[in-house]
Amino acid sequence: MITYQNKTAFWLLLLLVVLTTGCAKQPSERSAKKIPAGKEFSGFLKDYSNLKPNSGIDGNALTYARTDVEKNLHKYIGIVVDPVDVYLASDADDAKLSEEARQATANYYHQALIRAVSSAFPVAEHGGPLVLRLRAAIIGVDVGGEVGAVDKSSDSEQAIHHAVNIGKVGVEMELLDSETGEQIAAMVDREPLGAGAEIGSVNFSKQERWAAAREAFDGWAHRVRQFLDSAHTLSEEDAKKVDQSYRPYGGETK
Amino acid sequence: MRSLNAAHEKQLWHGRKELVKATRTLFVWIVLALSLGSGPVTAAEISTFSAYVDSDVCAHLMLGPINSSRVECSQKTHKDGSDPVLVRLSNNTIFEVNKQKMISKLVGQLVEASGELKLNDGQMKLKEVRPIESSTIPQGDPARRLLDVRTFKTTGAPKTFEKIRHELAMMPYISEFDYISFTMVGDNVILSGWTVRTTNRSYAENVVKNIEGVNRIVNNIEVLPLGSMDMQIRAGARAALQQNLSRYFWGSGSDIKIIVKNGDIILLGTVMNEGDKNIAGIRCNSVSNAFHVFNLLRVQGAESGKKG
Repeated sequence: MITYQNKTAFWLLLLLVVLTTGCAKQPSERSAKKIPAGKEFSGFLKDYSNLKPNSGIDGNALTYARTDVEKNLHKYIGIVVDPVDVYLASDADDAKLSEEARQATANYYHQALIRAVSSAFPVAEHGGPLVLRLRAAIIGVDVGGEVGAVDKSSDSEQAIHHAVNIGKVGVEMELLDSETGEQIAAMVDREPLGAGAEIGSVNFSKQERWAAAREAFDGWAHRVRQFLDSAHTLSEEDAKKVDQSYRPYGGETK
Repeated sequence: MRSLNAAHEKQLWHGRKELVKATRTLFVWIVLALSLGSGPVTAAEISTFSAYVDSDVCAHLMLGPINSSRVECSQKTHKDGSDPVLVRLSNNTIFEVNKQKMISKLVGQLVEASGELKLNDGQMKLKEVRPIESSTIPQGDPARRLLDVRTFKTTGAPKTFEKIRHELAMMPYISEFDYISFTMVGDNVILSGWTVRTTNRSYAENVVKNIEGVNRIVNNIEVLPLGSMDMQIRAGARAALQQNLSRYFWGSGSDIKIIVKNGDIILLGTVMNEGDKNIAGIRCNSVSNAFHVFNLLRVQGAESGKKG
């Protein structure tokens, strides 16, 4: 039989559980994603099946661009660039890589991507009709050497003890229809542009010491732009149609 | 009890008055500080020039001489809802004005306009406007160039014109929602139209600048904002047109251009017949949230008939 006291105790207990759960401190370290051991791809992209070598861009990246009349890169005029994901190498000791270091690395590449694509697709804040969503990930980040005292930030919260090694890193990205989530284009660039490069400061974008890492991320972002440009190149047939179709109004000199 | 309430209300009223007074004082101080901080106030310069009163749509589209077809375009699109603007005759610069009522009855006419110009924004704070006759503009005045059809028929220009047309057509990031228009005034090129990509504006100028025979460029291309309502209208209009007029659309582009600006749809390009033109207009009129549809599609048969 349920008594009044039992009921009160039950509700008090429930309240206590809700309060303790709600106020519990969230773990500061987000569990790091890793490349599954022995796998070719990280699993970040929705679909890898259509990727093929692309001679139109530097390196040996694999790409895919949908060519439907209704859904292809030509049909979009804006882009949302999602925050970049970081995948550690399969055997990386994730305890040694601080969340701050990984975040700084992801933020830099995120900004590099925005710089590279924004002149082709105006960057929007939210998805919607005619807007693409760019998802990207840095794949294969490893633990680097200990950061020397000279390079360490004086702010103990920002100090990185172990550098982020991007020597074997590659990148994966895909462009989705921001409304339906359908994959419109994808690219996997495994060329280790960051060979020998490390990041030992959350402000690595401002320090000469980590210039090689910046160049690597700028290089991968540049290739994403090359891919967009190559996908935007008109076929011979389409070029003919465009040329025939375009005649300005008024002012013709005949 | 009532007197207590009255006293309390009086006290509250007094408090409010004090608060209003303090706010006013603070406001006066802020204004004073701001005006002191900004240095001496300079009197805005008043410019007076000869202009053609056009509709916003035709000013960006029908470049070239002010002839009967341009006047017809201006008056029709203005009647359909396009805002009136001023086109400076000496260099074809387009100005939006603060007091549209002052010029709305003068669309399709030549005027002398006075006001403060903001060249960077293409805005004019209109002070005075009066209609004028073309004969009052002296011979040799730069303002006459836009009135004279011969200005647009310079020897040797057709080749350069064709080169410019081809280069603009081949721009890589031109979508169904962009339309770049141009004309030549002697060896100068006036670029106009609308684009959703800021880079197309500078790209067009750069590509034309490098063409042999081109001297100066006036860039009037307008960059359209990507507001969510306009984006929905763009997507809705394209879907509606593709459904009924799919033969004008292909993978990377279309014969029909859909310009969307602040809820208005401007249809440009060429279709096969009058029926397709009407279908396009009807379909776009049913797009949610679209205010006006300016159906400026050209009909192929009608054009060749005119030429023939």
